[in-house]
Amino acid sequence: MNKRKQGAVPRTTRRGRPARTAPAVATEYKPASGPFAVAAECTVADASSLKVGLAKLLDDTDIVTLDISAVQRIDTAGLQLIAMFVREREARGRQVKWQGAAPVLATAAELLGLGSLLKLPALAETSK
Amino acid sequence: MTIDLTQFHDAFFEESFEALDSMEAALLKLDIGAPDSELINTIFRVAHSIKGGSATFGFADIASFTHSLETLLDELRSGGMQVTLSISDLLLKSVDVMRAMLRSVQAKQPLDAQRVSDLQFDLELIIAQKNAAAATTHTVMPAAIAHLAASSAPASCAAAAASPPAELASASSAAATGAAAAKSAQRRWEISFRPYRELFARGNDPLRMMRELTELGELDVNVDLSGLPSFAELDPQACYLAWTVGLTGDVSEESIRQVFEWAEGDCDLVVRLLDAPVAVPATVRASEPEPTSAANPVVADAILSASAPPQETKADLAVPAHAAAPALSVVKQDSKADAPLSALGDSGSIRVSVEKIDELMNTVGELVITQAMLSQLGAAMEGPNAEKLRAGLAQLERNTRELQESVMRVRMLPISFVFSRFPRMVRDLAQRLNKQIDLKLTGEQTELDKTVLEKIGDPLVHLVRNSIDHGIESPEVRVAAGKSPAGTVHLDACHRGGNIAVEVSDDGGGLDKDRILAKARARGLVGPTDVLTDDQIHDLIFVPGFSTADKTTDLSGRGVGMDVVRRNVKELGGKIELRSERGRGSRFIITLPLTLAIVDGQSVAVGTETYIIPLISIVESMRLKEASISRLSGRNEVFSFRGDYLPIIRLHELFGVEPRARALHEGLVVIAEGDGRRVGLFVDDLLGQQQVVIKSLEANYGHVEGVSGATILGDGSVALILDVTGIIHAASLRAAA
Repeated sequence: MNKRKQGAVPRTTRRGRPARTAPAVATEYKPASGPFAVAAECTVADASSLKVGLAKLLDDTDIVTLDISAVQRIDTAGLQLIAMFVREREARGRQVKWQGAAPVLATAAELLGLGSLLKLPALAETSK
Repeated sequence: MTIDLTQFHDAFFEESFEALDSMEAALLKLDIGAPDSELINTIFRVAHSIKGGSATFGFADIASFTHSLETLLDELRSGGMQVTLSISDLLLKSVDVMRAMLRSVQAKQPLDAQRVSDLQFDLELIIAQKNAAAATTHTVMPAAIAHLAASSAPASCAAAAASPPAELASASSAAATGAAAAKSAQRRWEISFRPYRELFARGNDPLRMMRELTELGELDVNVDLSGLPSFAELDPQACYLAWTVGLTGDVSEESIRQVFEWAEGDCDLVVRLLDAPVAVPATVRASEPEPTSAANPVVADAILSASAPPQETKADLAVPAHAAAPALSVVKQDSKADAPLSALGDSGSIRVSVEKIDELMNTVGELVITQAMLSQLGAAMEGPNAEKLRAGLAQLERNTRELQESVMRVRMLPISFVFSRFPRMVRDLAQRLNKQIDLKLTGEQTELDKTVLEKIGDPLVHLVRNSIDHGIESPEVRVAAGKSPAGTVHLDACHRGGNIAVEVSDDGGGLDKDRILAKARARGLVGPTDVLTDDQIHDLIFVPGFSTADKTTDLSGRGVGMDVVRRNVKELGGKIELRSERGRGSRFIITLPLTLAIVDGQSVAVGTETYIIPLISIVESMRLKEASISRLSGRNEVFSFRGDYLPIIRLHELFGVEPRARALHEGLVVIAEGDGRRVGLFVDDLLGQQQVVIKSLEANYGHVEGVSGATILGDGSVALILDVTGIIHAASLRAAA
């Protein structure tokens, strides 16, 4: 009944080698001009650099667009940070829009009960 | 800045090695054919935990291997397969391989990959074979099996389709649980999961746990954002979220708790059954009921306010962040020392480095000396407040003693830490030597000092190996001798006075005295005409390089061993005795001091000197009547004590001190016991009882027969601590001379 399968091994092949081959993309920040590209790796190990990138956008008066199409791996720490950012933007009456889709991110947000806060493309309309 | 996960490796390795030990122990207890499901669960949990941890830390090989292992264990757990001898062997080998893998990762050394992949292949083969047999009867395979079947038998790709990729597990979970719900009683659980800030840093990811929960049943996840600080104050590596999860499914509390097992100690977890099982129709709705409309911040707000008190302001929210920040910075700065310390064990225990305990012991030792000094000063004090001072000092003494006992207890560990390695060793040796051996362990809970414990392991291994290799006979020989074909090796530990006695006994052939003697004569250790007592013959096996084995094996026979055993035991201040009877077996008895640091002593005066006799050696003290004293030939004196005659040892003669009392009736005798013998130690007077901190005489001066150490008294003078066994030995040599 309570089968526990692959769940504990994120994204590995059967032989345990990482399925992902793309190198972690550095978080890029382009001031106001374009969307902010969220890196492929959004885990606890990358959370600090992600925070630095997002912090610069926090008070941006324009609509901030987060491009999540590159996201390949995310954990609770990464999601917490993004949720925090969205919440704080909203608290200031500023919008966050999404560009691209990341099934990984959407699934994770649902599982952690953050789906309604993030209003991700998988659930809601996007700006795209 | 990125978080360096390697700082948590130590804790992971330490926990994993411990977990593997318990897995091994459980495997050895497993009955072939009729396994205890609790044991299988224990084994499964270990594999599962290691898999999760190694995946988190990116040890992909270990994760992959443990995954295969887990699949097999899952089959055993669900009753899909039976535990056979070969499977049990395979599982034990897996423990070895996992240990080796962890060690190689820990030491950053290459691994014997062939060994790993061979064993992994074996594991998968067994499951594949089982699946091939079962394929026709199972319409819906459990995903784990399907997964394997797909890889080992490409034909069954239909089954593989039933196994969803991990990332999408939640998407299919609703359907899966819906189907499951149709046939069984559903229960509604409420899980309150409130991680501590450092949860991420410990390698845990709530996302993984949620994913596992979806496999148990249908989820209703509510996140609590009230712990979040402002964005600027957020530490990206700290967990601020908390969850209340409603879970509906036919699951037990245990299986829910298993999901959070790896996070135990890093979170507050409450699992509550909301209602009794009810049969529900198959059309259970999936999780996440709130449909969210496009750009409606009101919905988000509503959810937020549902979990967070509405009056909470940003300033309020910032408070936990302040509190958390310093704590986390400690982790970063001092992670090496902190990680093992903060790793929480099963029963709310913490790991503390041994150095810290030693430091504590040392300080308490000094405190005991200071307290003794104060007591002595206080006793001589006069004046209006003297009584009060003495009452205070008495209190101080009680507290010091309690503190000291508590610190000592911290250092004590049950001997099962050492014993636990034997079941496996005995099993392997017995298999290799084609002998049948029952290992009996008793007194495993006997506690002794960690330093003593660490050093006793190797001598015991030697003794047990010897018993198996030399002691226990082959089944045929045993049956011919009228014994049961299976020999018994018995390990026992118990407290005896202030000592701990560890005994290794077997019911094997015993020592062949004639052969030992012949060999000793041949080597010139014993003169051709010397007549030796049994004890003296037994003593020969402790001579370096002495062996009677006909052929040298990798187990024993090279003549190294017993002398090393004896040396190790002596270094610990213990002794080893041997009793053996031809045809009946041998018993090795190791006696060790419980601790090496502090002793309860009776101070006695001899002339101007003060000596300390350990209280544990003292039977009683008395003044002798002339009538009870008899003089034997030479200078030997004995006195009658409860129907026995005990020799009198005059300490002033032994140590060359000028006494105040020469006539036996003027002084006192302290009846002391050592080495199973009792003697009367003649002293001038008894001074008082106190705890003394042992300072090694060997380290500061050199070994003196009859003296086990020295201590510093309250007045700053040095007193020698007597070793009663040594005194008896020294005195009997003098008497014989």
